[in-house]
Order: sequence, then C-alpha cells, then structure tokens
Amino acid sequence: MDAGKSLSDNTILQLLQGNQPPDEAIRALYRQQYNMVKTYITQNNGSQEDAQDIFQETIISFIEMVKQHKFRGESSISTFVYAIARYTWLNEIKKRGRAQLRNEKYEREKEIAEPGIENHLVNRELKNTLVKVIDSLGANCKKILLAFYYENLPMRDILQQLQYGNEQVVRNKKYKCLKQLEQMINANKQLAANLQSILYE
Amino acid sequence: MPTNNWQQTCNRFCMSNNFTNEDQLIQYLDGELTAQDAADLNAELARNPVLAAKLESLRQTQASIAMYGLRQTVGGIHQEMMGELGQAGPAPVVGMRQWLHYAARIAAVLVLLAGSLVVYQYYTATPHSLYNTDALPYQWHETRGATISTLETDYNNHEYSKVIQDFKQLPAPNATAYFLTANAALQTAQPAMAISALAALQQQNTAAQTHYYEEDVVYYLALAYLQNNEPAKALPLFETIYAAKDHPYHSYTSRWFMMKLRRLAR
Repeated sequence: MDAGKSLSDNTILQLLQGNQPPDEAIRALYRQQYNMVKTYITQNNGSQEDAQDIFQETIISFIEMVKQHKFRGESSISTFVYAIARYTWLNEIKKRGRAQLRNEKYEREKEIAEPGIENHLVNRELKNTLVKVIDSLGANCKKILLAFYYENLPMRDILQQLQYGNEQVVRNKKYKCLKQLEQMINANKQLAANLQSILYE
Repeated sequence: MPTNNWQQTCNRFCMSNNFTNEDQLIQYLDGELTAQDAADLNAELARNPVLAAKLESLRQTQASIAMYGLRQTVGGIHQEMMGELGQAGPAPVVGMRQWLHYAARIAAVLVLLAGSLVVYQYYTATPHSLYNTDALPYQWHETRGATISTLETDYNNHEYSKVIQDFKQLPAPNATAYFLTANAALQTAQPAMAISALAALQQQNTAAQTHYYEEDVVYYLALAYLQNNEPAKALPLFETIYAAKDHPYHSYTSRWFMMKLRRLAR
C-alpha cells in the first residue's frame, strides 16, 4: 500500500473488520480525520496536546464500535468520528471541572450526540484501569496472549516468534497466562462487575 | 465469579465428564475442541450456570486482550502519524488561532464593558451631572478703551459673590450686568438667581429690540435650568442650539448629551 494514500470509507471498514491488526486503516484515519478533530478541539478551548489525546481515544473507540458492528456506514466515517471526538472532548471538559458555563454546554450538547456513542464512551476510566491491569502482566504472557487474541496468528507463527520447544508448550503457556489474567481482573471488583459493559457497550 | 464456587463446580463436573479443567473451556473458546466435545460442553453449559459464568469470564478476558492490543497498536501508530502530520513541534497556525481566539475574547469583554458603561451613564445621568459635563464658565473680555465697572472687574477676578453684591447696588443694570451676574450666580450654585437675571436680560432685549448676548443667554439659561433641576425647561433651549450647526455653542450639544437630556426631560 502506498505511503500517505487515502482510503475510501468502505476500504477502511473492511480492514477494520478483518482479523489482522488494521494498521493501514488506522494510518488512513489519521491522515483523513485528524485535522478536522484538531480544529474542533483547538477552537473549543483545547490545546494541541488535547487534540492529539482526544483523537487517539476517538480512533480506538471508533475501531471498537466498528468491530462490534455499532457502525454500519449509515453516516460517513468522518461524521461518526467527529461525533465521537466531540463527545469525548465534552466529557473531558466535564471531568476537568471547568466553568459552569461549559458544563451547561456539555449537558446541552450531550443530548445531541450520535446514538450509541454515549454508552460506548462512559466506561473510558474503567478501560484505562483494565489497561493498567494487563500492563502488569508478565512480558511473555502479554506476547503470547496478544499473538493469539489480537494478532490472530497461527500457532506455527507464534512458535517461531517466541521460540518455545513445541506447540503444546505454547498452548499450555497460553492457558496459564489467560487464567492468570482472568484472576487479576476479577481481583478488581469494580472492574470485574463492569467488564461486560467496558468491552461490549 | 468467586473461585470457590467455580472450584466446587469443576470438581463435580470434572469427576463425571470429559472436561477436566479450565483449559478445556479455553479450548472451546479457541475453537480447538472436537465437534463432539463442543456439543457435550454446550449441553453442560445449558444446565450449569456457574460453568457458563466461568466461560463468559474467560471470554471477556480474551476480549480484554484484544482491546489492549488495539490500544497498543493505535498508540504506536499515533506517534508515527504525529511525526508524519507535522504535529510533533509547535504549530504556528494553531498558535495564531489561539491568539486570535484570546484577542477576540478580550475585545468582546472590552466591548461589553464599554457597552455597560454607556448604559450605566445613560440611566444614571442627572441634570446636575449634565450641567457639570457641559457647563462652560463664561469668559468675559472687556472692550479695549471702555470704562470697566466694579462688577466687571470682580467678575474678571472670579469674585462671584462680590459680583452679585455689586449687581444688587445697581439702580438700572445694563445687559452686561445682567449677564455677568447670571454667570456669577451659576458659579455660586444659585440657579434661580441666574434664571431671573437671564430672563430679565431677554425681556430687556425684547423691549429695546436689541440682541445683547442673545445666543449666550440661550445657552446659559439652559444651563441654569439644568442646575435648577428643570431638564424639561432646558431641553427646548438645547434642542435649538443642537439644531443650529452655526450656533456658537452647538459644539457643546453632542448627540449623546441630547439623548441623556431627552430621557431626563420625559
């Protein structure tokens, strides 16, 4: 794929819905949507750093919603990304506890957010907690679990990458790491109680 | 889900089935079970809610890994793309926009303050405040070679009380005496006396068909009414001056002054 090439909405959606990490689709989203979001954030009391942070969160939320089939192309990707970014930014403003006027603006604008976005984004804090829990997992465990459950690599590729003796050793390691992570998540009662909504809403 | 519940369920389940541990639930999720084993587990899951909860917990753990992976990927690409899009350093366009944004805000605040001040001045104006902003003390200049009266000398020396005393001594005051006395009365905040003197001067002019201080009288009589808290009487006089662009006191009757005076005269 050519560097810097724009992609159509359909191509981006196909890449995001596939089983492979959607790196090219993510790059295309940055090239095609970032300036729009940056303009919105910086014209609404945000800094350039705010724009970068919010856009990163926006792209993650957008991809998750595509994978959960919550975005089916009824509107353009641009419209949907803008709505997510706006909602994420208004939430951030509220969290920072700025002036009452902006809170009122948040309350007003929250009502006109795209349907389905609000539920998806309210768990942002808990998602960050979940990320921290996974961060604390051992490096090898993270590699194996990511290779299996995010990159969807076949066993032989994982075996080559991680240099274990045979497939059964890798498989046993995978079981052990997954159970260990499950225990770590369940040890955080708030996280465990909300995991369903964090992942699927 | 509490571990003890799962352990008890597993022990019972494991004793009587082919599914010996959590590994088989993971195999099920990963699609690694045979069709027969998967069917047997499906049947057991339908009967056993604790086992079903355990399966769901493992499924969510796998989904958590996928979510984590996506965040890691986006985080890595984010750094790369910020470099490509030129967002790593300061962005002058955004900086300028931000500056303009602040400048516009400051300007808006200043306009609001100025507007508030105007409204405040409009509604708090009084006849006395109008008098104080508009009053021009009359500068009298003696005619070269003419005889100077005591009253005129006192006026030039700004001894206004003496002017009034001098006036009272005059058996037949002339136009200058009336006029300077009226101004002395204004300077000593005796508007009724000023009005009386200026009215007498107007009568004298009318009777003698003269025009001494004619235009000055209109202006100072208007001021005297303001000082005497009678804006309704001052208004027609100031309207005359304001309408006549060649009137010597026209420049003292601004539009803003007239707006405030009209409100007071209502």
